[in-house]
Amino acid sequence: MSSKKLLAVVLVGALGAAACGANDQKPSGDAAAKPDKGGTLRVLSESRTLNFDPAKSQSLAITTLGLVHRRLTGWQNAVGQPAKVVPDLGDTGKTTDGGRTWTFVLQDGLKFSDGTPITSADVKWGVERSFAPAFGGGLGYHKDLLGGADYKGPFEGKELDSIETPDPKTITFKLTRPYGDWPWIASTPAFAPVPKGKGAEPDYQEHAIASGPYQIQTYTKGVEVKLSRNPNWDGSKDQVRAGLPDEVVFQLGQDASVVSQRLAADSGDDQFAFGASFASPAQLAQLQANASAKSRVVTSKSGAVAYVALNTQKAPLNDVKVRQAFQYAVNRSAYQIASAGTAALAGDAATTLITQGIEGREQFDLYPSKPEGDPDKAKALLAEAGFPNGLENLSLVLNKSNNQTEKAEAIQAALARANIKVTLRTLEADAFETETNLSENPTYDLTLSSWQPDFPSANANIQPLFATSEIGKGGYNISRYSNPEVDKLIEEAQSTVDPAEAGKKWAAIDKRILQDSPVVPLIYTRNSFIHGSKVGNFFIADFPAYPNYLQVGISK
Amino acid sequence: MRYALTRLGGMVLVLLIVAFCTFVVFYLVPSDPALLACGKPCTPENLALAREFMGFDEPWWQQFLTFLGGIFTGRTFGTGATAIHCAAPCFGYSFRQNTDVLELIGDRLPVTFSLAIGAAVLWVVAGVAIGVLAALRKDTWFDRVALAGSVIGVSAPVYLVGLLGILVLGFQLDVVPVGNYTAFADDPVRWAWGLVLPWCVLAFAHGAHYVKLTRSQMLETMSEDFIRTARAKGVPERTVVGKHALRNVLLPVVTLTGIEFGSLLGGAVITERVFSLPGLGGLLIEAVHNRDLPTLLGCTLFSGFLVVVANAVVDLSYGVLDPRARLT
Amino acid sequence: MSTPVARSVPAAIRSVLARDRWALAGTVTVVVIGLVAIFADVLTAIEGHDPYTYDATALDPATGLPAGSFGGISAEHWFGVEPLTGRDLFAIVVHGARTSFLIGLAATVVSIALGLLIGAAAGYLGGWADRVITWTADVFLGFPYLVFMIALGAVVPAEFPRALLLIVVIGFFGWPSTARIVRAQVLTLKDRNFVKAARVLGASPWQIFRTELLPNLWGPVLVMATLSVPGKIGLEAALSFLGVGVLPPTPSWGRSISAAIDWVQVDPVYLLIPGLALFAVTWGFNALGDGLRDALDPKSVTKR
Repeated sequence: MSSKKLLAVVLVGALGAAACGANDQKPSGDAAAKPDKGGTLRVLSESRTLNFDPAKSQSLAITTLGLVHRRLTGWQNAVGQPAKVVPDLGDTGKTTDGGRTWTFVLQDGLKFSDGTPITSADVKWGVERSFAPAFGGGLGYHKDLLGGADYKGPFEGKELDSIETPDPKTITFKLTRPYGDWPWIASTPAFAPVPKGKGAEPDYQEHAIASGPYQIQTYTKGVEVKLSRNPNWDGSKDQVRAGLPDEVVFQLGQDASVVSQRLAADSGDDQFAFGASFASPAQLAQLQANASAKSRVVTSKSGAVAYVALNTQKAPLNDVKVRQAFQYAVNRSAYQIASAGTAALAGDAATTLITQGIEGREQFDLYPSKPEGDPDKAKALLAEAGFPNGLENLSLVLNKSNNQTEKAEAIQAALARANIKVTLRTLEADAFETETNLSENPTYDLTLSSWQPDFPSANANIQPLFATSEIGKGGYNISRYSNPEVDKLIEEAQSTVDPAEAGKKWAAIDKRILQDSPVVPLIYTRNSFIHGSKVGNFFIADFPAYPNYLQVGISK
Repeated sequence: MRYALTRLGGMVLVLLIVAFCTFVVFYLVPSDPALLACGKPCTPENLALAREFMGFDEPWWQQFLTFLGGIFTGRTFGTGATAIHCAAPCFGYSFRQNTDVLELIGDRLPVTFSLAIGAAVLWVVAGVAIGVLAALRKDTWFDRVALAGSVIGVSAPVYLVGLLGILVLGFQLDVVPVGNYTAFADDPVRWAWGLVLPWCVLAFAHGAHYVKLTRSQMLETMSEDFIRTARAKGVPERTVVGKHALRNVLLPVVTLTGIEFGSLLGGAVITERVFSLPGLGGLLIEAVHNRDLPTLLGCTLFSGFLVVVANAVVDLSYGVLDPRARLT
Repeated sequence: MSTPVARSVPAAIRSVLARDRWALAGTVTVVVIGLVAIFADVLTAIEGHDPYTYDATALDPATGLPAGSFGGISAEHWFGVEPLTGRDLFAIVVHGARTSFLIGLAATVVSIALGLLIGAAAGYLGGWADRVITWTADVFLGFPYLVFMIALGAVVPAEFPRALLLIVVIGFFGWPSTARIVRAQVLTLKDRNFVKAARVLGASPWQIFRTELLPNLWGPVLVMATLSVPGKIGLEAALSFLGVGVLPPTPSWGRSISAAIDWVQVDPVYLLIPGLALFAVTWGFNALGDGLRDALDPKSVTKR
């Protein structure tokens, strides 16, 4: 019948493809090519919206938003080094009272794309603007520290008293408590300047006034965003942006697998393009067969820590012995395979909370076992805790948008080896967040999550996930871990200004928390990206696990 | 006239019910659409502000009435300099996409229509033609192949045929492009070429119904008295088939087309996912995943609107095609 | 006199199977896969794998693809294994048949029962009730039910059995098409003498429905049921395909097909096997249903 014929056709086709892959020995000398100034860089993005409104953005300092907006401070990252805070619009800040008051001085002669000078008042306006309800959704670590609980933004005519601008070059922040990481906070999107008095319209993101190397030339909703050079950007005053291409074009709403196909084929404009989303395991397996494409896949050395969070406030997981059993019950090897096919593409097994590439991180393993885990030890611990027959009916909630099904099933299968029976419950992204982050009395026992700090400090690894203040009410302490001793240590470490000293404190906290086993770290998730053959200087530093958009250029 | 008014009233009522049900179902979902505007970290104060701004702080029935009101009078979110205006007819404002919902639908509609109209033309024409031929050549090999093919077409899920099509024709043989949509206005040739595979796949799956329907209807009609009379009178066979029989056959075909066209959006959800086309179905799924209630309501209402209009068109065409129906 | 069609149903099935090779082939397919679904546990025990256990040794360590060619088909794994997990595809497909049959058949029962009752009520009672029902059916037919089911999947708590939810939802949205046909049948039956006689004798509408109408509806209902099973199975697969059907790790053809999309170029077998299984079942029911219709529908006797 015709279905049989179809099968034959497909099988022959598959063989053909395999044969092609083996013979495909294209020379791949393009990796060494250094990028020059000029050309058009293309970014193929799955997303349909591109947000250039700093108040609404959660963008890292080295990706999309950074092409258009500068911030008070910037990140310098390189392969083999922890990320450092460096001057951007201003210096890296000074404090005279142990971290409570911070003063930054702006460089001379900075201009917006419309030619007007960038002053401290514009930076202040940008920060104030992030408090307006109409411009929510961005990173808001500064809000609480600036004491803006009742402040609703500058459009109602009020200023934020905790920010002072004594002259056009100086800006001073008076915080509610000492905070050593404030220079890092000043590198978050809200610290990009917005010309004072502007930016009241809801579509500001489509024509934002630029301070970086590029300005928004055209913004076609859902289709394309074209960035062209900002004539008023001075490269000599910017140490974090290379500004190599003449134009950057974002193509929106691209299907991820199609992007992978196109970039692997490397023809026409796609030679000058890279994909903004991670290559999936299936795509990676496919790229293995194509030597040219394989050479153009860049995989990060490390990345966000993936973990199983254990609801420490719900029986039976309120017992530390039970929680420790989970450290041995998981199978990190199966998890690696389920997430990327191989350990090398998935990332190293994780045993600490602080991610690689962060200043002060210490490597340790409180619960050593094989990569496959140790179900017998887990069973023994459970028996000690009074559960000789294992655990029944635990609920593991999943965030659907994170594509976690295979990974969660790997966890489910691994725990079953230790007689821990788990049911999976998949929720849509914000239903998931409502359950894990907002609910007073959530019903989940376990959840799968991953965390990449929003700025390169151990503080951003630990405080959002483990401070008592972050339970429910929108915080990310989804293991609902509350330990007054740890809270006190966190507060001390946060108020330490010297990064080296603070780093030591954070490493100690990392160990202390894991003794209580509120989460089971799984892997430091690697991200893989693919780029066209004419894209140069496409690297991923130790932190964050994303390419540095600001340094990428086109090679001739 | 009275009929037309009742009809119109019925249509509006259908749409109201569809909107209401969507609203209620999505209200039962334990989630908070204001979360997306809350930021990270999201404090309860910020969340309350976001809710108020987006109009999610009112009780649900109030929100539903506000939504209905917006259709006639337009809406304004927030106050002062930062307020967002959504002009009448306002079918809501998607905070997720920062756009008026009507505009979003308008942006995606051409893709879905290109897909549906192209495929429908193909499947109706091919399906009816094959069905008529099969009936006229009953029990020949052509008839058998057509019947067997139509059973396969009816049985194979669209996404399976689509995926196989992509695999074989798109990737292995590389004869048709995959995952490329070009707007008609930009380049009509590339537009059509990019849609060839989806059209054929849809036509294969849907056309099968038409083959079966046309064939059986045709056989039935050909055995009826008026055909025999016409033949007895010496009317040429071509006229008998073309003028008398076909007209009778078209009636159920029109009904089926109407119904299928009305449920276009439901089908688009799957087809557009398989072929990665940026149409309304995709918008709908994105809206469900993002819990983008305004967009979802707009899409659902629009989908209901299509059904209602399609049904009305079917009824009207009955009058044209079937003289008997005109009297009632 | 009152049950002319009902008596002929088994006879009609026999004659269809004897005369119509396609219908026979369809029936055999359906029965075989039905038996596979029933004896899924036995079959997987013979093969020696279950659909849940991860097995990294069956995978190519360099890519996470099944080790060996053709998706890892071997004496050990008859249909190969899933990429990334190494779970046995034969076990998954065989247990997936169980999911498909259970949901498809049960949902059909729900929708046919509802359609029968509602359609008969509309046709028999007529007037106001008829108008409301017909109109409601129109609304339902135009309802974006996929969207609705997706939404319901998110609302209903995980403790609620997923299969039951799917059965109820798919069944519920399926009644209008059955009701339409039943209504049309009842309209013609209503004016027949035996129904009129029963009414004159003072039988209640429920009695008339049970004793006079129902026996005459079995034929068309059976045809409709057979023809709507593949649609229901397909809908379950489509919902699972969209990620809102049965929950993992319960095997489902639709979910496997959806997962296989990404792998279609490097591991086409992963798509083909669940895809062919789904196709075979739908085709079997359609072929059987077509044959039954030809046999039971007096108008179509001339057609073959």
